[in-house]
Amino acid sequence: MNRTKIARLVLVLGGMLTTAAFLMTFFWANPSLLPDGRVDFSQKIFYFHVPVAEASFLVFFFTALYGVKFLLTKDRRYDMRAKIATEVTLFFVLLTMATGILWTKVAWGVWWQWEPRLTTYFIMTLLVIAYFVLRNSVEDEEKRAVYAAAFGILAFIDAPISFFITRWAESIHPVVLAGGKSSGLEAPMLITFIIAQIGMLMLGYAFYEMRLHEEELKERLEALKVKVGG
Amino acid sequence: MAGSSWRQFKAILRKDLVMELRTHEMITSMGLYAILTMVVYQIALTEAGEALDVRLVMPGLIWVAFIFMSLLGLNRSFVHEKDQGCIDALLLSPVDRPVIFFAKSAGNLLFLLVVELLSLPVFAFLFLQGREGITNPIWLLGVVMFAASVGISGVGTLLATMTVNTTGKDILLAVVFVPLMYPLLRAAVGATFAAIIGGPGSVETFWAWMTWIAGFDVIMLLIAFGLYEFVIGA
Repeated sequence: MNRTKIARLVLVLGGMLTTAAFLMTFFWANPSLLPDGRVDFSQKIFYFHVPVAEASFLVFFFTALYGVKFLLTKDRRYDMRAKIATEVTLFFVLLTMATGILWTKVAWGVWWQWEPRLTTYFIMTLLVIAYFVLRNSVEDEEKRAVYAAAFGILAFIDAPISFFITRWAESIHPVVLAGGKSSGLEAPMLITFIIAQIGMLMLGYAFYEMRLHEEELKERLEALKVKVGG
Repeated sequence: MAGSSWRQFKAILRKDLVMELRTHEMITSMGLYAILTMVVYQIALTEAGEALDVRLVMPGLIWVAFIFMSLLGLNRSFVHEKDQGCIDALLLSPVDRPVIFFAKSAGNLLFLLVVELLSLPVFAFLFLQGREGITNPIWLLGVVMFAASVGISGVGTLLATMTVNTTGKDILLAVVFVPLMYPLLRAAVGATFAAIIGGPGSVETFWAWMTWIAGFDVIMLLIAFGLYEFVIGA
């Protein structure tokens, strides 16, 4: 089985797992209760928001990793991989932002709050966007690849900062999986979350592989065009 | 080898200084920019009037001025290199790439510090008259300005080397530079605030922010130093 077939399989599995997690969220995972005893429906977004956010950090790591690999080898395939990893990051980052903003409106009463996690994540969003702005304004192909790799490596530094900031600084953003006495989830909640997380990572991998496949096909097509035309 | 690197470093730095002493272009444009920023601040703060204690927002305001001022300077410092073909000559000459990085960063740092030192008294003159003085020793302010400016000029030199070769140039420099600088700026504003406002525990807070700045400087400068050879060679 080649990579593309595996990617398609992973895509279907990831879709099934995230859908299953979505259903489990409403029909199986323990509801979280408000102080007056009503069910807190806004908490349900946790099973989507957190997996997609964690996936965004992880995929962004590959931007930096392939950036380093490109600089060491000057192999253009790594540049393409870094670019596609950043595309997937952008997609996940925007989803994280959208779901986060919905939740903060319900839980905190405002759409946006300049608190450490939100601020550093917003900065990460800007960095991911800046990565593409930078790419688009360099005409020379080699320069574009080198600059994008260098910027990707620098930009990634914000990801661990954003991830750990809720542990370092005073933040009102919830930290559910921090360990310690008051954190943690009951078993059905945890299982639902893990399924959602695995599904999301599978989707991330599948998006990445399929985009890569698409780009490789495009390149082959271009090469064929040159061959036939020339 | 170390001796010749030091000579090369001094030669590149001297070139930038001599050019600046002849044209006064960097200091004049950055200084004027700082004063214009303060005029805009006056507009921004005018309706708040006397009710607003300017000291509370001053740390933020001065770093806003400094960061945009540094953008101007960083961009200038490489536009010259490129327009006059100097960077190609530098690359052709047997100079180690890291030496170019350190010399250009040092030049940018120097210009930035000079304009910061000149514009702070102007800021105090325009906005802080009749307000409470600064209680902590004034050299704390010097420490944070120096440490943060090191980070700004180091990373800025790397980024400006890239953006000068793009179609966007100065706009693009702002797009890539400002978000990357966020952690440093946040810490610089925190440290400056602790230095200016004072009060119990403020010196500890100051040094806590300073460790952030120092950490940022070390990590980012090492990475920028490592990446520079690739970027300038491209």
